[in-house]
Order: sequence, then structure tokens, then C-alpha cells
Amino acid sequence: MEDCLAKKMEITVSEAEKRTGRNAVNMQETYTAYLIETRAVESQSEGQCAPVDSLWRRYSEFELLRNYLSVTYPHIVVPPLPEKRADFVWHKLSADNMDPDFVERRRIGLENFLLRVASHPVLCQDKIFYSFLTQEGGWKEVVNETGFQLKADSRLKALNATFRVKNPDKRFTELKHYSDELQSVISHLLRVRARVADRLYGVYKVHGNYGRVFSEWSAIEKEMGDGLQSAGHHMDVYAASIDDILEEEEHYADQLKEYLFYAEALRAVCRKHELMQYDLEMAAQDLTSKKQQCEELATGTVRTFSLKGMTSKLFGQETPEQREAKIKVLEEQIQEGEEQLKSKNLESRDFVKSAWADIERFKEQKNHDLKEALISYAVMQISMCKKGIQVWTNAKECFSKM
Amino acid sequence: AGGVPKPLPSSGPKSLREMPHPLATSSSEEMGPALTPSPDLLLPRSIADKDLGLPNGTPVDTSSPASSSSLLNRLQLDDDLDGETRDLFVTVDDPKKHVCTMETYITYRVTTKTTRAEFDLPEYSVRRRYQDFDWLRNKLEESQPTHLIPPLPEKFVVKGVVDRFSEEFVETRRKALDKFLKRITDHPVLSFNEHFNVFLTAKDLNAYKKQGMALLSKVGESVKYVTGGYKLRSRPLEFAAIGEYLDTFSLKLGTIDRIAQRIIKEQLEYLVELREYGPVYSTWGGLEVELSEPLEGVSACIGNCCTALEELSEDMTEDFLPVLREYILYSESMKNVLKKRDQVQAEYEAKLEAVALKKEDRPKVPTDVEKCQDRVECFNADLKADMERWQNNKRQDFRQLLMGMADKNIQYYEKCLTAWESIIPLLQDKPETK
Repeated sequence: MEDCLAKKMEITVSEAEKRTGRNAVNMQETYTAYLIETRAVESQSEGQCAPVDSLWRRYSEFELLRNYLSVTYPHIVVPPLPEKRADFVWHKLSADNMDPDFVERRRIGLENFLLRVASHPVLCQDKIFYSFLTQEGGWKEVVNETGFQLKADSRLKALNATFRVKNPDKRFTELKHYSDELQSVISHLLRVRARVADRLYGVYKVHGNYGRVFSEWSAIEKEMGDGLQSAGHHMDVYAASIDDILEEEEHYADQLKEYLFYAEALRAVCRKHELMQYDLEMAAQDLTSKKQQCEELATGTVRTFSLKGMTSKLFGQETPEQREAKIKVLEEQIQEGEEQLKSKNLESRDFVKSAWADIERFKEQKNHDLKEALISYAVMQISMCKKGIQVWTNAKECFSKM
Repeated sequence: AGGVPKPLPSSGPKSLREMPHPLATSSSEEMGPALTPSPDLLLPRSIADKDLGLPNGTPVDTSSPASSSSLLNRLQLDDDLDGETRDLFVTVDDPKKHVCTMETYITYRVTTKTTRAEFDLPEYSVRRRYQDFDWLRNKLEESQPTHLIPPLPEKFVVKGVVDRFSEEFVETRRKALDKFLKRITDHPVLSFNEHFNVFLTAKDLNAYKKQGMALLSKVGESVKYVTGGYKLRSRPLEFAAIGEYLDTFSLKLGTIDRIAQRIIKEQLEYLVELREYGPVYSTWGGLEVELSEPLEGVSACIGNCCTALEELSEDMTEDFLPVLREYILYSESMKNVLKKRDQVQAEYEAKLEAVALKKEDRPKVPTDVEKCQDRVECFNADLKADMERWQNNKRQDFRQLLMGMADKNIQYYEKCLTAWESIIPLLQDKPETK
């Protein structure tokens, strides 16, 4: 990790700004632009701070970057972007993309994405990534010039289409299954958590009503009045406290969401391997059938049924010259095929090796991050409990003075 | 702080010191060693409040006899403790279900310990059912119309969901019935009422009930007040104020009741979601290797919070709401007494006016008008004294009730805090190198 970009460069997404412009079909649109600031990290800190470079990027450019990385590094579990649209909302959160809270959380998510890429041993070295951070204009053209879209396998879009692989790699099959389950369980967790947040909000807010009624009641009491009044104030404090508590919890939800999307990235790697394996098997199958054809033509025996064989039987056999020509073509194809198969095999082996290395790296990162997330969640709960104890103890004190 | 109503000086021969403490006898299995409490012992409120009993003394709950706090519990916790002698103790406990051919019902044991001369024996133990309490209350209203009679828990259970024979319902009712009798015991006039005496002592209450009006109190006369017919000229300021106060008071209590119910409802809905939330962590744990234990830990933790929340909601339903409702009923019955007072005053004013109109030059006022005047003055005096007593009790009751509510919430959060704090080490635990 010595060479990783994150160590050499400070990267932040420091601001978000609403912009209006014209889109591809010359219609006016509103979008949010994000300010990316970078600064070289000085090894000696003599108060000498390197100058800050900055440029603005919008979400669609981040998407372009990620697509490029996905295609260019198919064996890497590419860090995910924060969600495009607000999902798993509970009633108070807005599902509007322009909502300031949503924009703020997205800003943090985009910064997190850049940091993830910058600290990845392979991805951080990518030139396109570097120019995304540093090249103000013309970046889009540079990316498109790489021609990565051509490399993109359209079959990947058909997520659930099955390709019958005869000899699947068990590890990848298991991993794909795991990523499916992980996506399912985290989605479920996020959905229920949103409902829990909703209900908890309700419980706290209703207590605010005590504040009002205690105040009204205290007006008709003599000795009890002060105690009731001040207790009512604490009930108001209690009711108000839930807003900050739930806002903090959103960060936890965002951490879970990141791994929900990471699961998708993991699945993509498995899928790519699956397709690679499929192509390999298809190539091998094709080679085998060509060899067989060749043999049949050479020896004159027909082992398997073929339409050509039937037609030639019906309409007369070919001349020896014709047969020779065919054999030659086939032999060429076979040679080509064997070379292709060799390189495909090599490609596959390389893919498996590097993919598996990155998967191990990812697993460690995931375990570490999720543990940290659970700890911070527990800490949040502890803080909430302590606040609750404090408020009710204060209220009890007021009641005791009644 | 205002004191609890002072009982009339006891005509009994024994003082408290000579009599064994009611809770010290072996008649109840929860009792500990015999205690002779010193009435001079004034306890700091902070310790006493922890397991506060009822304002008039005998605590409802008994904890382990050995603990010092329970020892303090059994002693008087009121301000007028020193120099005061309590000579009547009543407790309601031991609910039992009776299944007969015609009906099924619950009876409660009513235990009395006293040194008063009005009672033949120092101790009584009888069984009573709700209708007996209801009968008592009606009799008290009839025979002591100038006084405020404490309320009974609601007679009928409206919601079909509530089981009349469930432990929770029976216990809630028992506490309310116990409070009812203790409030009467506390009252300097009501506690000497003939019907109350019979209620506490008679083996066969039904036989007494049948005798009806045959047994008239030797002390006072059974006074019946005419209801209705007279219009009141001017209500004395203090009673008008009490009336206004009660109106606003019961209104506010009604609001608090609704808020409390709403909170319980929201809490239960929150609980439903939590019950789904916890297990998902467990499912996730099943997918993982290194994260398996931490995730299971979180799942278990949430489960503990669910249990704590359930307990909180139960406590609020069983302890908080019934007392609120009791006070709403109390206010209602008090307003009725105020109306009666108005009627008595109106009758007097009308009779007085009638005499003035007759233009007879009698040197003295006719006796029946005099009687009316007496009635008005008695009623006003009784009512004023009862109102003061009620205000003090109300303050103590609500202080205890609201402190109890705060306590239950504190306990809930403490349980959750313990649960979450205990899994932090589990989450931070670094597995041994694989």
C-alpha cells in the first residue's frame, strides 16, 4: 500500500452546488455539482502546505468513471457509488434528490468513493482516475477515447440470464451465492431499520404533548405548579432529542448501504468469471467439433450426424479437391482455435488469480469496516440510552419537588 | 408539606407501641421478623421514596424482609409521623377465583388490625368481592353525603380484549380496592362509619345488606337531602373556585390519559418492528464467518431491548393509567357532592325567603329554617376540610405516580444501556489469527 495514491494526496469532496445548464437535447436542467479538492501530502510538515487544486464534477461523471473502472478491471471488486436516488427512506427523510440532507449525504458518499479508489493498490494507479481528480476540462473525451465501452460485455446487463457452464469454479459459485444472500439480507435490514426509525420518532414526539399539558395543568395548581412546569420542559427536550439521534443513525445506514452496493460489485466479478468460463468452454467445444469435422473429412467416416453429411450423401460427394480445400481451411481454423484457447486459458487463470487476491483483500476490508460500523451503532445506542436516563432523571427530580 | 389528615384521638386503650406491627404477625407469608417501629423515626425522603407505599402507611408491595430498604418501607413515611398514633390498618390482598354454577367471580381478603373501641376484636380477616365494595361505597355516599367518598375502580370492563380473570387485571383491581379502603381508613369521619365497620368485620355481609335501613347509626342521623328544585342565588367564592378547578383538572387528566395511551400504542408498534429487526442480524450472522459472533451479539442485544420495552409498556398500563382514571372518577364524584351542597344552600335560601315574605313578626327564626342553616354550615365545613385533605393526598399521589413513571423509563433505559455496553467488548474482540 506504499504506492497508493491516498497516501500521497489529500482528496476531499468539499462542497455541493446547485447548477442549471443545458442537457444533451438542449433542454434546461438542474443538477448538483460537487467540488473535488486535492492537495499533495508533504512528507515534511514545516508549516508548508501545498496549494489546493480543485475542480467541479457532477454525479454522471462519477458514474462514467466507475463504469470505466469496472470494464477495465473486471477482476477487481470496484468500490460502489452512493445511491442515485434516495432509497430506504423513513417518513421524515425526503426522497427528493435536491433535498439538502440527501445532497449532503451524497457528498460524503462521493468523497468516500474517491478515497476507496485512491487506497486500492491496483485502481489508484489508473491514469484516467488521476485525470478525473486533476484534469478540469476534456476529461470525458479522454475516457471515451480509451474505447472502454467497446470492451464492455453487454451480456453483463442481463443479470439473471443463465449461461450453462459445464465446469463451474466452486469458489466463484459459492461467492456469487454469498453476494446474492448478502444483498438480500442487507436490503431487508435497511427496510426494517427505516420502519424502526419511523416508530421511534413517533414515540419520542408524542412525549412532547406532556410538555404542553403539564404547563396548562401547572397553571391551576399552587404547590405542584413549579414541579409540573419544569418537568414539562424536560419532556420537550426529550421529544426534540430524537432528531439528532436519528440523523446520526443515517450514517450507520449509509455504511450498510455501501456494502449492499459492494455486494453487487462482488457479484459482478463472479458474473464476469462465469462468462469468461462460458466463453472458454464454448471455444473448446468449437475446437473439438472442428477437429472432429476435419477427421471425418480426412477419413471419410461420419461419426455424427450433420446436415452437410446428409446433403452430400443425397446430392453426391465432393471431389477430392474440394475435400482437400475444406480440410486445409479447417486445419487453419483449428490452429487459430488452439492458440486462442491457449490464450483464453491463460487469461482465465490470470483472472482467477488476481480476482481471488482482490476478493481476499475485499473480505478483510469488509469484515473490518462492518465491525467498526456495528461498534459505532452500539455507541450510538449507548449515547441514546444515557440521554434518556438523563432526561427522565431530571424530570423525576422536578416531580419530586411537587 | 401538608400533612395527611389527622385521625380523631383514639379511644382505644393501646397505643401503637404496645401493639405489634400489623406486618410483623405471621398471618402473611411475606412477613419478616417482628418489628416495633418507632414513630419518631423520620426518614430522609430519598430513601423512603424508592419503594413508597401509600400515603397513609401500609405499603402495598413487600420486598425481601432482610433488606434495609424494605424495613424502611414498612414504617410510616409521612410528615405527621411523630406523635401520631395510627389505630386502624386495613389491607386488601390474596385474590381468589370462585367457580359456582351460576357465576365465576373473584374475592379478596380484607385484613383489619385495630385498637379502636368501635371494634370488638383487634383483628379481622374477611373475604369480599367487588359488589361488596360497591355496596359499601353507595352506603357511604348515602350516609355521609357531606363528605367526599373515594372512587372505586371501574365496574364494567368495556373492551372485549381485557380478561376479567387475568393476573394483571386482578392485581390492578386489587391495588385500587386497597387504596379505596385506605383512603376511607385515613378519613377522620368516614373511618368511623357503621357500614365501614360492618364491611370490615361481618362474616356474612349479605345478611347485613338485607337488613337495609333497619340498622341506623347510633351516633348520627341518616340525613337525606332533597335533590333538585331550588335555584342557587350565589355560590360562595371558594366553592365556585373548587368547581372550576375540578373542571380544568379532570380535563387535563383526560388529556394526560390520552397521551399516555398514545405513547403505549406507539411503543407497541415500535416493539413490533424491533421484533423483526433483531432476527435479521442473526440471519446475516449465519452468512458470515468472522462477523458471525458480532452480528449474533447485536441480534441478542436488540432482543433484550424488546423485553425491556415490553416491561415498560406493561407497567404503564397496569400502574399508571388506572391511577389517572381513578382521579378522573374522583373528580366526577366530587362535582356531584358540590352540586348537593349547592342544593342544600338553595333550599335554605328558599326557605329563608319564604319566611321573609310571610311578613310575620316572629322574634325568632322558625326551627326548620334553622335546621337548614345548620345543614348548610355543616356541609360547608365538612366539604372544606375534605377538600383540603383531598388536595394534599392528590399532591402526594401524583408526585408518587409521576416519579414512578419517570422511574420506569429510567429503568428501561438502564436495561438497554447494560445490554449495549455488554456487547462492545464482543464487537471489539479481535479473533485469533486464522
